[in-house]
Amino acid sequence: MLEAKNLSKTFEGTNALVNLNLSVASGEIFCLLGQNGAGKTTTINLFLGLIKPTSGAALINGEEVKPGSNTNQWIAYIPEVVQLYGNLNGLENLDFFSRLAGYKHSKAELSELLIKAGLQEADHTKKLSSYSKGMRQKVGIAIALSKKAEVILMDEPTSGLDPMSTDEFTSICKELAAAGKSIFMATHDIFNAVNVGTRIGIMKEGKLVHSSDTDNISANELQQLYLKTI
Amino acid sequence: MWQIIKNEWLYLRRTRMLVGLSIGFVMVFLFSIILGNYQNQKELKASETAKKHLREQWESIEAMNPHSAAHYGTYVFKPSNLLSSLDEGVSSVTGNMLRVEGHVQNEMVHSEASQMQAISRFGKLKSSLLLKFIVPLLLIFLAFNAVSSEKQSGRLKLLVLQGASPIRIVLAKTVAVWLYGVLLLALVVATYSLLNIQNLSGDTLFRSLMVFVSYALYYFIITGLTVFFSARWQNSTVALTSMLGIWMFWSVFLPSVLLSSVEKWHPLPSRNEFKAAMREDRSKGIDGHNPADERGKELEKEVMAEYGVDSLYKLPINYDGIRMQADEEYGNQVWDKHFGNMRTVFTQQKQSMQIAGLFNPFISLQNASMGFAATDNMHHQEFLLQVETYRREFIKILNDKHAYGGSKTGDWGWKANNEFYKSVPDFDYQPTALGAIFHHYLLDVGLLLLWFILTLSLLFYGTRKMQLV
Repeated sequence: MLEAKNLSKTFEGTNALVNLNLSVASGEIFCLLGQNGAGKTTTINLFLGLIKPTSGAALINGEEVKPGSNTNQWIAYIPEVVQLYGNLNGLENLDFFSRLAGYKHSKAELSELLIKAGLQEADHTKKLSSYSKGMRQKVGIAIALSKKAEVILMDEPTSGLDPMSTDEFTSICKELAAAGKSIFMATHDIFNAVNVGTRIGIMKEGKLVHSSDTDNISANELQQLYLKTI
Repeated sequence: MWQIIKNEWLYLRRTRMLVGLSIGFVMVFLFSIILGNYQNQKELKASETAKKHLREQWESIEAMNPHSAAHYGTYVFKPSNLLSSLDEGVSSVTGNMLRVEGHVQNEMVHSEASQMQAISRFGKLKSSLLLKFIVPLLLIFLAFNAVSSEKQSGRLKLLVLQGASPIRIVLAKTVAVWLYGVLLLALVVATYSLLNIQNLSGDTLFRSLMVFVSYALYYFIITGLTVFFSARWQNSTVALTSMLGIWMFWSVFLPSVLLSSVEKWHPLPSRNEFKAAMREDRSKGIDGHNPADERGKELEKEVMAEYGVDSLYKLPINYDGIRMQADEEYGNQVWDKHFGNMRTVFTQQKQSMQIAGLFNPFISLQNASMGFAATDNMHHQEFLLQVETYRREFIKILNDKHAYGGSKTGDWGWKANNEFYKSVPDFDYQPTALGAIFHHYLLDVGLLLLWFILTLSLLFYGTRKMQLV
């Protein structure tokens, strides 16, 4: 579970995030929309513990994210472009990042994780430099699966993906949520947010100005709301 | 940390350009090692042959006046040691042969630099040239974007999130690149050892180990600083430029400036000044009030009184031999004074250069490398002292034979037989054991260690200030 309690961040006098209160429970996919600079990545970086909050707290599984805390063991992160080691193949990359997190998997287990993440077996031994963006995202998901992450933070993961890859990625996210993961996704893709998300939020100038379930809203309605809000 | 190091190596192994570069580099190293070893063996063989030939010549003297034999003299050779092919130090300019004769302490001749213009201009292709200048450059090129590339690609976030702390990442990156340098270093030292396995002694192994430790420390300093810059600055080009600047300043600019400064702070007399001062002291006396002719008259009186005669020609011995030995001993005192002064200046110069290691670890490396390879000026001076001790012993034996061998004063035609010449010992150079002079290099090793600790501290400090996003 992921929670923000009055979470605020100021960079040299500029409010990047103002009193964010939010919680994403197990099995939920929260899609955060907003323009560039709205505070989406800042929110993710606060949950990752890469920056310190000015006030308030970011919590993972009830534990506050701060230096020395063990919250990273529950989190996985999938950036816009999953930049792994180009000279290594998918299996080697997964093996390295798993071991780093303290998990030692057999080759068969690694392969299984990659298949679970949607990467075809024939691609497992190909060098990562030959992978498309979508394939890299899948290795990123496999890394999340390998460390048994309970919370997955995604920063514009479908940006630049072709419709088929986006659709595939959406399915994987839904499977992950069904398996009990809490997913927090920052995105510009309104249609995908409605499709994949269980809840959506709109952020403007560091403030969460709208939050609702996706059950009662269509993509067109969300687009209208988004444009009106922004 | 081990996972990151392993991964770095896997990545380096898969980088074709680096693999190609490494193969080329190893080839050059092997070539320089084999060439250096061949030259060393050739030199050793040549000096052994010459030594043997000269000894045979000496032992074939049938009958000769001992004083003529003192002028005939002999030659001694400075044998090159195993490690001199690793770092030749001052060997190529000091020469390796010295004539030993009566009345005079000759200088060494037959330096390589004086005989080969190319060597005097460019130096020889030695492993030390590659180890001191090229390997550090290679390490800089390998490490300059070690952390910045992770930051720029966003991988750093992922690494930290997977549980690798920034300090672990930075240290692992440093160690991974450092190990590359250490591997090349180990290859050089191991190849030399294997090529000369039959001549390896405990002292040579100890020296090799210290050479290895000194270079390994220096490589860590270079790699650590480069990784520090890479972690500290977002732009890898700034890290590369900074380290190249430091490399140039440390390895090229500062040593030359320091050497010139040290020579000005502690000047040595010119060869003419040195020789003129020796001549003057020998003729006028060390204190300037004891001329040679007065010293001679004093000695005559003493010897005649000892034997209770009133003429040198009534002595049962040959006074000429006693006079020549007395003159020799006086000359030795003069030499001790002037050579002692010169050694003091050498020591002052060495100490100043050692202290300069506070600002430049390359200087400490250079001192340690030459010192542990037994090719620095200190080892050369130790050799000269051994030669001088032998010369004194050699001349004393000849003068004593002249004085007490059976001839009378003024009997210059008297000759000693072949048995006597065979009994005169040959020069037997005893290499200086590192254990006996190790304290002279403590400062160099200590400063390299200090720089090592400083670099480690910088890495810790650098990661604290490192921005992850």
